[in-house]
Amino acid sequence: MLLEVKNLKVYFYTKRGVVKAVDDVNLYLDKGEIVGLAGESGSGKSTIGYAIMRLVPYPGKIEGGKIFFNGENILEIDEETFRRNYRWKKISMVFQGSMSGFTPVFKVKDQIIEVLRVHEWKGDYEERVRELFKMVNMDPSLADKYPHELSGGQKQRAFIAMALALNPEVLIADEPTTALDVIVQENILNLLKQLRKELNLSILFITHDLALLSEISDRDYILYAGKVMESGPSEIIFKKPRHPYTTLLIESIATLDKDMIKGIPGFMPDLSNPPKGCRFNTRCPFAKDICFKEEPKLKAFSDGDEVACWLY
Amino acid sequence: MTRLLAGSTEDYVVKVKNLKVYFSKGNPLFGKKYITKALDGVTLTIRKREIMGVVGESGSGKTTLGRVTIGLQKPTEGEVYIKADNEEINVVKAKLKVISKYVQMIYQDPYSSIDPIMRVYDVLAMPLKYRKERDIEKKIEEAMNLVELPLELLENRVYQLSGGQRQRLSIARAIIVDPKYVVADEPTTMLDASLKGEILKIIKDARERKGISFMLITHELPIAKIISDRLTVLYLGKVVEMGRSSDVIRKPLHPYTQSLIEAYPKIDPSLRDKPKEIKIKVDIIRPEKGCVFYPRCPFAMPKCKEEEPQLKEVEQEHYVACWLY
Repeated sequence: MLLEVKNLKVYFYTKRGVVKAVDDVNLYLDKGEIVGLAGESGSGKSTIGYAIMRLVPYPGKIEGGKIFFNGENILEIDEETFRRNYRWKKISMVFQGSMSGFTPVFKVKDQIIEVLRVHEWKGDYEERVRELFKMVNMDPSLADKYPHELSGGQKQRAFIAMALALNPEVLIADEPTTALDVIVQENILNLLKQLRKELNLSILFITHDLALLSEISDRDYILYAGKVMESGPSEIIFKKPRHPYTTLLIESIATLDKDMIKGIPGFMPDLSNPPKGCRFNTRCPFAKDICFKEEPKLKAFSDGDEVACWLY
Repeated sequence: MTRLLAGSTEDYVVKVKNLKVYFSKGNPLFGKKYITKALDGVTLTIRKREIMGVVGESGSGKTTLGRVTIGLQKPTEGEVYIKADNEEINVVKAKLKVISKYVQMIYQDPYSSIDPIMRVYDVLAMPLKYRKERDIEKKIEEAMNLVELPLELLENRVYQLSGGQRQRLSIARAIIVDPKYVVADEPTTMLDASLKGEILKIIKDARERKGISFMLITHELPIAKIISDRLTVLYLGKVVEMGRSSDVIRKPLHPYTQSLIEAYPKIDPSLRDKPKEIKIKVDIIRPEKGCVFYPRCPFAMPKCKEEEPQLKEVEQEHYVACWLY
């Protein structure tokens, strides 16, 4: 296991109360694997990404759990060592909306060089930028442009190049294709698949778009209201899911072969006051007495699927 | 162009003829002036009780088209008519106050398109009071029922509602005044997957029960397919294909529509090991002349670079602008 998250809890201390955005989440990522972290807004998927980077924004705090990278708990390392030796060097991230993550006043090249300089990269900076641009299938001459001179897809690829600048082992991609057109989306997916193959990169792919995810991930975690509802190989998650939430969510995705889509009635509970028992109990069509009393634990099946549901 | 209007003798609600909207950027005092052709010669009709899906990528001009048809944007050239109560309104010339009797709009972002501190009741009562309508209570109840919001919410403030509830309210606000024609601009884009289906059902219900015509603007092809009767595919301000939704999706004629449909994600984990083939070039290039799509087209011929193809009825009610046909 390259990366392992154990019993992670991230709480946000807001005026309205303590919001348990991530509540006891376990997950892992192997070398060269693409793992999906999927859920709707408010499920805590991005917060997990930020926690791994140790960048949880105020007023959030990591309240418990461990995050192991190559067997070492990175939550116990002091901030300066983590910044120097881990963040961006071992684990880097493509942020949500990172197309607008470049500052408009400097050339793309100079912004990537800054990353190399701050981390005391040994070697020719210009040469490294050219190498990175080739890696993400872009003409190296585009590095001399200002961000506004690039298209959305080009900016996204340039940001991926920046994330790969220091040869990280893990890439956290938070909604890397949201706000891009379909053709460009597929192009970015192809790029990530290619990078996994060429660099043996491990990718944690965070998204709300399950159809897209199904085309890239090896395994997936389905999150709801800060909890993992189901996890397993993509063949199971997308073709034979067990949890009612996963099943309903996949039925509600619009694809071209469907004539109508169903929704899931109701909405996500307030996480400063989550319901007792299973967190999906307010919307679940199969909810029975026990679901309102006791929280289901993840149960493992022989096909690699794990489900937190009282039906099993 | 005239061929496209062949079928328009029937009952139409919106008629758009050779519409052009150009935006100019840059200050002429400092030399360079750029012209962006947001819409370049669009002709279409929307029939009574019809949901017309307008799809295209960013920059295709779909939002501009919606805005022009309800008078929020003046075109550079072209005509727009709305037919209501056997009266034809020239949208380009008429005052907004006249147009707004018959048209409404539903916006993409339910968080910024409704005043968050208003009471739900007031959001719905305001347009009725403005029109000096009667039976306000009854109409509000009816609209709340249609969008499936509980009546208890009427006393709540908008900020207390969830995103899905706000989008329902936004639809209720649009249909409560009995418009003839509603433009819904990406109404499901900001919503979670589990909420999209219900919003589509509500729009369909509104059409059934009130006989409203809709223009549904979206970049999500499956959403457009599910809800609309006909589809218009826009590319860089031009209509490249138009037809019954099922025909366009099942048998796309234009190379652009074909590649959009191929690229659209399917729920299929077996695809994950191989990269997906993308036949067209990824980046958008706007050519000086000829077909707008030829710089990306895998089938481009010499003719495509020189001459612009016009919309042509290739099959019944299925139009395409491409030299392949």
